[in-house]
Amino acid sequence: MITVESLTKRYGRFMALRGISFQAESGEILGFLGPNGAGKTTTMRILTGYMPPTSGRASVAGYDVFTDSLEVRKRVGYLPETVPLYPDMTVHGYVKYVAELRGVPHAASRADDVLRIVGMHTRRDSLIRNISKGMRQRVGLAQALVHDPQVLILDEPTIGLDPRQTLEVRDLVRSLGRTHTIMFSTHILSEAEQVCDRVAIIHRGELVAIDKPETLRDQLQKGARLFVRVGKAESAETVRKTLQNVTGVASVTVLNDGFSVEARRGVDVRPRLASVIISAGWELLELRPLAMSLEDIFLELTVREGADERL
Amino acid sequence: MRHIWIIFRRELGQYFSSPIAYFVAFAVLLLTGFTFNDDLAMRNGRAPVDPALPLIYLAQFSVFFVPLLTMRLLAEENREGTLELLMTLPLQDYQIVLGKFFGAWAYYTVLISLTIVHQALMLWLNPADLGIAFSAYLGLWLFGGASIAVGMFFSALNENQIVAAFLGMAALLILWQADLVGNVLNNRPLAEFIRSLSFQSNYSYSFAIGIVRFDHTVFFLGVMGTLLLATTQVVQSRRWR
Repeated sequence: MITVESLTKRYGRFMALRGISFQAESGEILGFLGPNGAGKTTTMRILTGYMPPTSGRASVAGYDVFTDSLEVRKRVGYLPETVPLYPDMTVHGYVKYVAELRGVPHAASRADDVLRIVGMHTRRDSLIRNISKGMRQRVGLAQALVHDPQVLILDEPTIGLDPRQTLEVRDLVRSLGRTHTIMFSTHILSEAEQVCDRVAIIHRGELVAIDKPETLRDQLQKGARLFVRVGKAESAETVRKTLQNVTGVASVTVLNDGFSVEARRGVDVRPRLASVIISAGWELLELRPLAMSLEDIFLELTVREGADERL
Repeated sequence: MRHIWIIFRRELGQYFSSPIAYFVAFAVLLLTGFTFNDDLAMRNGRAPVDPALPLIYLAQFSVFFVPLLTMRLLAEENREGTLELLMTLPLQDYQIVLGKFFGAWAYYTVLISLTIVHQALMLWLNPADLGIAFSAYLGLWLFGGASIAVGMFFSALNENQIVAAFLGMAALLILWQADLVGNVLNNRPLAEFIRSLSFQSNYSYSFAIGIVRFDHTVFFLGVMGTLLLATTQVVQSRRWR
């Protein structure tokens, strides 16, 4: 549905994108993850036909974004980072205006429909200047949905929202993802993990990784990490030493409330850990895997990047 | 065409929902009212009143008030980020520019038609030459369209409305005063050429005295066409920057 091939974008002497390539399948929610200034917005602006790339190709729904820009724009719903609203218009008037410009039949009733979808129908006659930030975000989303596009491109739709609004927007995106292809940018990693089918991590204009959140986690996790809590032990240090000696254990770190045990790749050390602890006469209070979050993956990937640059 | 119409409708509606348009309308009526009243008192039955007089003043005031009407047209969209929305909708850039231009021009038309009240008073006092009134209004209307095109061009150039208004005023003032270029320039052909580009010389010596001249009509239409084209280019340039 979205195909991007070695896309670059140069602003004067600054390379915002250094040749990124990826694809998003139909009906997929692709998370676009990266720190601020990584090139997320630039990529999205190219995909929506706002500006052309310096080199490379991109197509949306089978149309080239540069040569068939109008066809692409008909099929894409776009929520830019700064929600494009007219403060002097009413919520309904604004959505209807966009619907009319998009040539949606029965614009007024369609505007009511999408306002219901985003939960803003009760405020349809309020002036946009008088509604809260979270509501504005949802009106922006309504605008992007009004023509029922095949592809939705949302640039940081949850930025600046309070936790409840954030959850609402995430739920909305997830439910829309069943019927639309969604590209969703964020710099909040847990969000990408919760919402997206696949995550693309970009950093300084380059694609660092793209995969399912679980796969990314598995790839980067060198071995399994386990959390162990032990009761009735003499001292933390004794436990650490004992656990360290178990076959298959790579390292043990003392945490506040327990131990983090890193096992070598492909070894399940859990039964051995349990029996060692029991036979030492301690109590095994907790033994569970410690999953590596996207946070860790992200830091890992981008730090590695930074290290390359310093060389 | 449909797109231009939708943008036009919103743009015109915007004028009537924002206070600045009413202030401008108020100021314009006040100023033309004063000059009209003054003229009436001066002639006081000794000479027939000139129906074009308030309109010549209005043309002169346009130099200052038209940029106030046009300053937000593109500068605001640019600053608020709504231009990004318009430019990612299935619209051609020229449709955005034309829709906005016609919206502003329509508001201007409403504004100058308010001065018909002076004409009515004049007719009531003594029969005036309606031909002059008609040509003066036609000229003023074209004059306004050209001024709006100039103001809008500067609104596209930057995202600060104050700067857009100021640059527009400066440009229109120069275009108005270019009529007097002969006072400062010795080179007669050059002075005549510059003078032929002046808004004042294309209005005050033809339309305002009851002559609808083809070349002056073409001049104002040409200014509109050229500047609308330039404005579209400026909007479009965002795409290749």
